[in-house]
Amino acid sequence: MSDRERFLSKLRAGLKGLPPSTVNDIIGDYTAHFTEAVAHGRSEAEVAAKLGDPTRIARELRAEAGLKRWEQERSAAAALGAIVAVLGLATIDLFILLPLLVAVGAVLFALLVTAVSMCLAGVLLLVFALFHALPGFTGSWLQRILLALGITAGSASAMACCVLFLIGMVNLLARYGRLHIRAAAPMVPAGEKGLMA
Amino acid sequence: MDPKDQNQIQLKKGVLELCVLAVLSRGESYAYDIAARLAEAIDMGEGTIYPLMRRMQNDGLVETYLAESSSGPPRKYYRLTAAGRAAYAAQKDSYLRFARAVDIILQETAA
Repeated sequence: MSDRERFLSKLRAGLKGLPPSTVNDIIGDYTAHFTEAVAHGRSEAEVAAKLGDPTRIARELRAEAGLKRWEQERSAAAALGAIVAVLGLATIDLFILLPLLVAVGAVLFALLVTAVSMCLAGVLLLVFALFHALPGFTGSWLQRILLALGITAGSASAMACCVLFLIGMVNLLARYGRLHIRAAAPMVPAGEKGLMA
Repeated sequence: MDPKDQNQIQLKKGVLELCVLAVLSRGESYAYDIAARLAEAIDMGEGTIYPLMRRMQNDGLVETYLAESSSGPPRKYYRLTAAGRAAYAAQKDSYLRFARAVDIILQETAA
C-alpha cells in the first residue's frame, strides 16, 4: 500500500458517519493534493508527513461538522452531536474537564427531572383543587387554586431555566472545541505524540 | 505540547482565514497553490487549508468551480464571493488596526 493510499484509507475510516457526498468531497480534496504534490516532484511519504495524522484530521472535520449542525439547529440531537464531537477530539485537558462536565450534567438532569415532575404534580393538583378540598389544607377555594397555579408556574420556569443553562453549557463546550480544532498541524515525531493526544 | 507552539498555532489560526482571503483577492486559485504559498510564507501546516476552505465555502465566502489543468485531472478552483470580498475588507481593516495598536504598545514598553 502506498503512502497516499494509507493516508486516504485512514482518513476515510475516520470520517465514517458523515454524509457520503461530504466524505467523497474531502477525499477528493486530499487526493488532488497528493496528485499536485507529486506533479511538483515531491514524494508521497513527505506529503503525507506534512499533512499530518489523518485520524486527527478526520476527528477535527467531524467535530467541525457536529458544531456546525448545533449552530444551525438547536435540537436535542444536535446538542448531543456537538457534545460527542467535542469529546471525540479527545484532547488531554478534556479528561480533566470531564468529571466536572459529568457532575454539572448530573445535577442539571436531576433539577430538570424534579422540575418536570413538580410541574406535572402542579397540574394534577390544580385539577384536583378545582373540584375537591385538598387534604390537610384549610384555605378557601381561591387559595387552593392559587397554590396549585403557583407550583405549576414555578416549576415550569425552573424547567425553562434548566434548558437555557443547558444550551449555554453546550455553547461553551462548542467554543472550547473550536479552540482545539487545529486542523492538523504537521505530524509530530512519535516520541511527542503521547503529549499531544 | 510546548506552550510557545500553542501560542503560535492560535495566532496563526486567527489570521489564516484573512491570509486566504488576501490570496484569493488577488486572483482565483486552487487549494494546493494556496496551501503552498501560505505554508512557505507563514509556516502553516499544509493540511490546514482543506478544512478551512470547507468552512469558508459553507460560510459563503468562497465558491468553487472546476477548470481544466495542463497536467492531470481538472482542478477545483476557488474564488471570492461578494460576501468574501466584504469579509476581506472588514477583516483586513480590523487586523491592521489591531496590529498597529500592538506595535505601539510593544514599542512603548521596549523604550
